[in-house]
Amino acid sequence: MRNRSKTDQPDVYYNAEISKRRPPDTGPLMVGDPDASLSDDALLVLYANGDGRAVQELTMRLSPRCFGVAMRVLGNRAEAEDVTQEAMMRLWRMAPNWQPGQAQLSTWLYRVAMNLCIDLKRRQRGGYVDLDAVPEPADTGRSAVEQMQDGARQDALQVALMQLPERQRQAVVLRHIEELPNPEIAGIMDISVEAVESLTARGKRALAAILAGRREELGYSDG
Amino acid sequence: MMADTDKAMQELDDLFAVARDTPAPLPDHLVTAIMNDALIARAENLVPAPEPITRTRVGIWRQLMIAIGGLPALGGLAAACAVGVWVGLAPPSFLPDPAQLVGYSDSTSVPYDSYDLAVVLGEEVQ
Repeated sequence: MRNRSKTDQPDVYYNAEISKRRPPDTGPLMVGDPDASLSDDALLVLYANGDGRAVQELTMRLSPRCFGVAMRVLGNRAEAEDVTQEAMMRLWRMAPNWQPGQAQLSTWLYRVAMNLCIDLKRRQRGGYVDLDAVPEPADTGRSAVEQMQDGARQDALQVALMQLPERQRQAVVLRHIEELPNPEIAGIMDISVEAVESLTARGKRALAAILAGRREELGYSDG
Repeated sequence: MMADTDKAMQELDDLFAVARDTPAPLPDHLVTAIMNDALIARAENLVPAPEPITRTRVGIWRQLMIAIGGLPALGGLAAACAVGVWVGLAPPSFLPDPAQLVGYSDSTSVPYDSYDLAVVLGEEVQ
């Protein structure tokens, strides 16, 4: 993964540009479930060979993960949508050149998404925290108070994440929320495994320090 | 102190667990846009890429031909050369025969030396 070409380097399209895209008149896209047991690689090969039914399966498998990471790293829903759409577009475009078995497709996609996030943040030179980016807690049968508390905790976590340096935030999200193994994170971020361990450890300590002042507010007792 | 740190880390792990359990739902309009993009990319991938424009190296004769002005100019040049050769070999009667000019020398001396030249110029000034 370290030798990926520069074509994978970030270049974010913004809303206006994305909205210009219109599907060509190449007939309706065949949708359906070709075979849910097929690997990502196999589905991408099917798509590259013109089988549109692989599109839905790949979209539903890969884009939620890409979107989730982008939301956590960027802290902004609209930007996360842009990054996800652009990353998936690059996936479709590179499909004919994909070499099955050489790397995990999800790793490639994470890498593209992370690069797009970095590029976006560099352009913004700052950014802001959009609390709307934090997902609504799913209805898990918990009480309203507990759900509100979960929501408050997620808001607090997102605010704290946004205070971390960019690379620390990426490493922490990939390690502790996506639960990816360190070697895969190293491949995504193009750094060594030791550097990943260092980033996640420092990031976690920094998060704990940031959240320490809000323990009571978040419902954590000292007992 | 160590206990506090462990506690803070445990609470942080709890927060991560909640974050994992509540993934951000993918908006429907984004799903639609991504699938539209798949159509666009499929159409792009089906269209063969245009042949790359390769810059070929132009040879010296070709460059000379271009410098002269192409084939018509080359034709004119060839005709002029042929006429020159013809005039040289079979000159018209009003021109001296080049063969008879071989060994002919003009008796008029030309003041090549700087001294002679100075004298001649000095005479002219006077």
